[in-house]
Amino acid sequence: MKIKILIAGLALTTFASCKKDFLDIAPETFISSNNFFKTQNDFTQAVNATYAPLRNVYNSAYIMGEMRSDNTHYIYNNTNRGNLVREEIADFIDNPTAEPVATKWTFNYRIIAYANEVLARIDAATFDENVKKNLKGQELFLRSLAYFDLVQYFGDVPLVLTPTAGSADEIIGVRSTLARTPKAEVYAQIIKDAKEAATLLPNKAAQEKGRATSGAAQTLLGNVYVVLKQWADAETALRAVVNSTQYSLLSDYAAFFVPSNKNNAESVFEVQYQQGNLGLQSSFAYVFMPNLTNLSPITGFTFNNQNTGGWNIPSENILAAYATGDKRKGASIADGYTVNSAFVAQPYVKKYLHLPLPAPNGSSPNTDENWPVYRYAEVLLFLAEALNEQGKSNQALPYLNLVRDRAFGAGAATITTTDQVQLRDIILNERRFELAFENKRWLDLVRTGKAVPVMSAYGAALKTSGKYPNLVSSTYNVTANRLLFPIPFNEILVDPKLIQNPGY
Amino acid sequence: MKFRLPASFNRAKLLLTLFLFIFSLTVFSQSRTVTGTVKDEQGQPVTGASVVVKGTGTGTATNAEGRFSISVPANGSLQISVVGYEAQELAVNGRTSIDFALKQSTQAMANVVVVAYGTSTRRTTTGAVQSVNAKELQDIPVAQVTQKLQGRLAGVQILQTTGRLGEGMSVRIRGQASISAGNQPLYVVDGFPITGDLSTLNPDEIETITVLKDAASTSLYGSRASNGVVIVTTKRARSGQATVGVNAFYGVQQIPSRGVPNVMDAREFTQYQRELLIENVVPATAAGYAAYKAKVDYFNNIDLNTIGEGTNWFKMITRTAPIQNYSVTLSAGRDKFSTSAVLGFFNQEGVLINSNYKRFSARLNSDYRFSDKLRIGVNLAPVFSVTTGRPTDGGPFTSGSLFTSAIVSSPLAPAINPDGSLPVTAAHPGSLPNPNWYRVAVEADATTKNSRLLSNAFLEYEAVKGLTLKTSINAEVGQRLFNNYVPSTSAAVNQAVPRASGDLTVNNNQFFSWLSENTAAYKKVVGGHNFDVLGGYTVQKFRSDVSNVAATNYPNDVVRTLSAATTFTPASDIQEWSLLSYIGRASYNYKGKYLLTASIRRDGSSRFGSDNKWGNFPSVSAGWIISDENFMAHVKAVSLLKLRSSYGETGNNNIGNYTYYANVSSVNSGNTNNYVFNNTLAPGNMVSTLANSTLGWEKTKQFDFGVDVGLLGSRLSFSYDFYTKTTDGLLFNVPVPTYTGFSNFQANIGKLKFWGHEFVVSSQNLVNKFRWNTDFNISFNKNNVEQLGTANASLGGGTDRNITRVGQPIGMLWGYVFEGVYANQADYDKSPKFQTSKVGSAKMRDVNGNGVITVDDRTIIGNPNPDFIFGITNTFMYKNFDLSIVASGSYGNDIMNTALEYTNNLDGVFNVTKDVANRWKSEQNPGNGRYPSTLAGTTGLFRNANTTWVTDGSFLTIKNITLGYNLPLRNKQTFKNIRLYSSVQQALVFTKYQGSNPEVNTGGENPLAQGLDQGAYPVPRTFTFGVNVGF
Repeated sequence: MKIKILIAGLALTTFASCKKDFLDIAPETFISSNNFFKTQNDFTQAVNATYAPLRNVYNSAYIMGEMRSDNTHYIYNNTNRGNLVREEIADFIDNPTAEPVATKWTFNYRIIAYANEVLARIDAATFDENVKKNLKGQELFLRSLAYFDLVQYFGDVPLVLTPTAGSADEIIGVRSTLARTPKAEVYAQIIKDAKEAATLLPNKAAQEKGRATSGAAQTLLGNVYVVLKQWADAETALRAVVNSTQYSLLSDYAAFFVPSNKNNAESVFEVQYQQGNLGLQSSFAYVFMPNLTNLSPITGFTFNNQNTGGWNIPSENILAAYATGDKRKGASIADGYTVNSAFVAQPYVKKYLHLPLPAPNGSSPNTDENWPVYRYAEVLLFLAEALNEQGKSNQALPYLNLVRDRAFGAGAATITTTDQVQLRDIILNERRFELAFENKRWLDLVRTGKAVPVMSAYGAALKTSGKYPNLVSSTYNVTANRLLFPIPFNEILVDPKLIQNPGY
Repeated sequence: MKFRLPASFNRAKLLLTLFLFIFSLTVFSQSRTVTGTVKDEQGQPVTGASVVVKGTGTGTATNAEGRFSISVPANGSLQISVVGYEAQELAVNGRTSIDFALKQSTQAMANVVVVAYGTSTRRTTTGAVQSVNAKELQDIPVAQVTQKLQGRLAGVQILQTTGRLGEGMSVRIRGQASISAGNQPLYVVDGFPITGDLSTLNPDEIETITVLKDAASTSLYGSRASNGVVIVTTKRARSGQATVGVNAFYGVQQIPSRGVPNVMDAREFTQYQRELLIENVVPATAAGYAAYKAKVDYFNNIDLNTIGEGTNWFKMITRTAPIQNYSVTLSAGRDKFSTSAVLGFFNQEGVLINSNYKRFSARLNSDYRFSDKLRIGVNLAPVFSVTTGRPTDGGPFTSGSLFTSAIVSSPLAPAINPDGSLPVTAAHPGSLPNPNWYRVAVEADATTKNSRLLSNAFLEYEAVKGLTLKTSINAEVGQRLFNNYVPSTSAAVNQAVPRASGDLTVNNNQFFSWLSENTAAYKKVVGGHNFDVLGGYTVQKFRSDVSNVAATNYPNDVVRTLSAATTFTPASDIQEWSLLSYIGRASYNYKGKYLLTASIRRDGSSRFGSDNKWGNFPSVSAGWIISDENFMAHVKAVSLLKLRSSYGETGNNNIGNYTYYANVSSVNSGNTNNYVFNNTLAPGNMVSTLANSTLGWEKTKQFDFGVDVGLLGSRLSFSYDFYTKTTDGLLFNVPVPTYTGFSNFQANIGKLKFWGHEFVVSSQNLVNKFRWNTDFNISFNKNNVEQLGTANASLGGGTDRNITRVGQPIGMLWGYVFEGVYANQADYDKSPKFQTSKVGSAKMRDVNGNGVITVDDRTIIGNPNPDFIFGITNTFMYKNFDLSIVASGSYGNDIMNTALEYTNNLDGVFNVTKDVANRWKSEQNPGNGRYPSTLAGTTGLFRNANTTWVTDGSFLTIKNITLGYNLPLRNKQTFKNIRLYSSVQQALVFTKYQGSNPEVNTGGENPLAQGLDQGAYPVPRTFTFGVNVGF
């Protein structure tokens, strides 16, 4: 009898433990979306996160934005061929599997998805309306910026404006089978978002440093209109920035890039980095230095840059193109370095290199420099361009000369011509030097229709120079098809509705 | 380093000692006595056979002469049972002397077979079940029981993918595969589904191993059964038994010379580097020229006449190493109490220097019978193992790699300086930064300490006749402590050395799993109708707590503890799951001839999505023993002819514990979501995975048809199974377009189809003085991918080495078709070209025929799935000698030697295989057409996966040869038996594959990355001498 009771007792004990919630085990080491998106703090953190993929986008943006152009090339790295695709992009023989292209696509869409997540949920939450407006404005700005980057590099892209959710069938069958949205529609959304962001966001003085501002949104809008050649709209947007009195040029060109001078008076929007080992650090200085096995001639400490450096090397073309007296050349480019008291003439970009560098993280670079997305100098040059294109060339000159005065000294190289065609070339050229190595050149060549002739000539010159024996005959075959980049291979693999750009 | 054994270990020893003491005092004396002998078919006495009076707990055991003496009621019956023989029962009928002649049961169909939640008999089982008696595996000198099973089981592919100590066994039952939920079967030890696999279990503790293959036999394990189930039963003492056994072996392991990469020696390497400099253009840039000049000076200064062989890196880091095992088994059983204890110590030095595996284990299984109706049992099995040795496998650019990295290092670099000190680097001018691999191996400081306590306690009560109630509590406590200090002198290829600091990883994983099982079984016989019903419910819960600290910035390599570091990266993880299940089974047979079974399990799991918490896993099976029909009675040659068939559904719940949640995290696929505002860190959090409330288990529906045949009084038996199964709702990290904000999504999508044939033949070829048995099995396992994720997008392909696509078998090898080199300008002009092609560079096939070679010209270039796998075991016995030969093999699978990416690299940064000397050097000297030129800028294409890397991976391995000799003992008072044996493990490998181990699989359990060899710890050949002693 006792035994029966014992068995019954045992059975009951285990039965008792089988309450319904026995099968509900919430994760202890992470938050799930069920208990997030409630408070102001939650939304602020979500908005903060939306900025994070900017680091990924801009870490490799130089490959498609500068190395593809006549501004920079690379040092042929015979030892480590692991980054071959960067060379292929520079030499116009890239294919859809190239990783930098996938990075641009993926991380811009990550920004978009993050923004969509917040924008879809924020109205339902209750907290300070002013904070809410500010947060929404930031998300709209970031989404607009991301789509603008995508549409310029890829053309038509899927336009996604709501967060991905739903049943497995819906996610796989509906949300993952989009086609490319025509460019015009994407641009319409970019403009809508940027405009709304401009009204929602506070100006620079009222905003935390590093966050998007109304001025940044207006500059973005201006840039969009410039690309679309809607010159009057561009003028309106850019004038709003100039008239806001929030911005001015620094007196020293090089001072803008110094890490101790982040988010200065000339800064409209920049990607924020911070030295350390938390994944917030930048690495541009190392990537742009030569790929020496020992960097000490430049940095003063031992570092093997074999696998990191040698990219975005100033081309002979741009070195030769700087006008005499242009201080920006010396501020942007180093001529070489000295080993055992012998000078090695190997130019490299030093705009983002400020010694002494913080200690590297083992064999990984670690720098503090921010990346400029929009500087006030560009606002001025955009405005000059928008005015010139509308036939108001004389109005364009003051803005252009403001930039040139800083570069050459006040009045040292003033432009006076009001010939629209001449001035067009002068402004484009000015952008090349003022904004050198800031990922503007390739897009400038494309939007002005100069990419094919300029890059074909540039490629032919490289090949005939005999200095680049690795350039096989198929390189620099620059055609109209190569003005857009391919949709990344893996994207087309999972969504066959994405039709590849012609020529890839 | 001190460690503590679990407290229960000492208690167990104490208990055992006490018990043996009491046992020895006991003397049998009864009034009415029956005596007799138990002998086998050859008339040899059977020692230690259990002799039990039927219906009572009273029993004894036979002595060394096979004699017994026991008190029995005049109308009673005696039951004789012993491992390896068929049980016998005889009524006493007033006799005082009875002799038994036992039949050997290795071929017998009537013996007991372990099934899910109980036992059955071979004859009435309707599922596809195969079992192995551990006794047959005793002589195989290896650490893990899984190694011993190689070649024994039909339809079970067991591969030793690496020689890493205590690791590396991959088990796939009936080719089962999953995209991401693993292929490993469920391991059940004494009724308890354990965490992980059997690698830490001392093989000497095992009595039998049973593999459940079809749905009918596995479906009672429900959502964990799709990959098949391996049931291990440990040794228990039988009533009346009192034995002490000692097993010991000592052996030497060495690496067979076959398959060691044949790289250039110092002389050849110098010559190769000099030629390489000539074949390439002199760099134009100042920096380039300086590097070039350094190379020229270095290699031209080497005197080819005196340089000799240089450093043989493979030899430097390997050795011949001993292996030893000792285990003691004590079994004692009386009428009420029986116990069995196994103590083991296993010690294996690695063939890689500075690697070792030690295991201390104990097991105590005790049963106490209160009465005929009530039985209580307790099992305790602590085990502790220590593995020393750094990571070794994989390609050079990962920090884990040792073998492949060492092999491609310069033979010109010394491993040891003339003064005895160790250089830091093995680099040569133009090579990638490279540590001294000998030093890396010598100074490695990595240990893994595993401790585990498995325990079960059960209470079994026969409430009314035929109805047995059973409740059990099972618990498993484990800890894995991994401590890896990587000195500053150690680095991966392409990492500057010495590094600024060493670094330490301390990973502590503690887990606890408990299971409560409550079942009721009812058996009833009415006329010829036999009913057997089982019902029950079980509750299981698992929790693991992992903490990981990565520490760096050490001032030196002397003090290696956490406290000496200055930078720390801590991480922790908690994993929990719970499972609540109801089980039911009903079996019916009519006169043991017509067999029917239906079973079902209902599983609720914390892992399943909130809208999909419960799953049902039913199965049905039927059997017909035709040979028992009257019309077969005159067919004397056929002792058994049985047809059986089954159908059922099982699941695989290895879908992760929290997969269905949308994870909000500060990290998204390795990138931090934090940002910086105003020079201050601003925390960022965001949804990083997609939620799936309907997430569920993977479903496998399986049909099985089988025939069992026994011929010539079961001297020849034969089994055949055909199966077909479909796995649906594969847990799939469905790649989704990244415009969704995610790169993938965990969903149940995708379908795989498997089918196959299995044959098992057991034959007693010779049965007289000279006995010869052959066991042979062969299985043809096939699979086909029916459906994949979004738009059936292929998995892999692109730059991957495998591709899984609809309409093909899983994980096909992927790459370019190598057609030779552009031998000359004319060849170059007329052939399709890659962007970087030049005369002398690699010529790949223009698969899509568009006139140029691009990434799109990659295609399927091999199939890693074998056509069939097989095993054959021959045993011979003559007088006191026994000999067994175990072989296993695989036929028709391809292997891609991806290590050739490095050993056939043409950039001069690595050492290469000797035959690279036959590369294209000029139009006049075009080489053998297998190796392109070294011209910089053209070599990249040849580093991509291509057909030169793929070879037939079929193999036949003589796994084990053992020769044993039983010492003839005149006086069996002290020793019951002494057997001496000698064996060779991994004796011979017959294969066309050039690499060392045709069982290799760098991709491990991942079926999507099968058949790749990135280099792995070699599997040694082991010569051992051993002894089995019975007291």
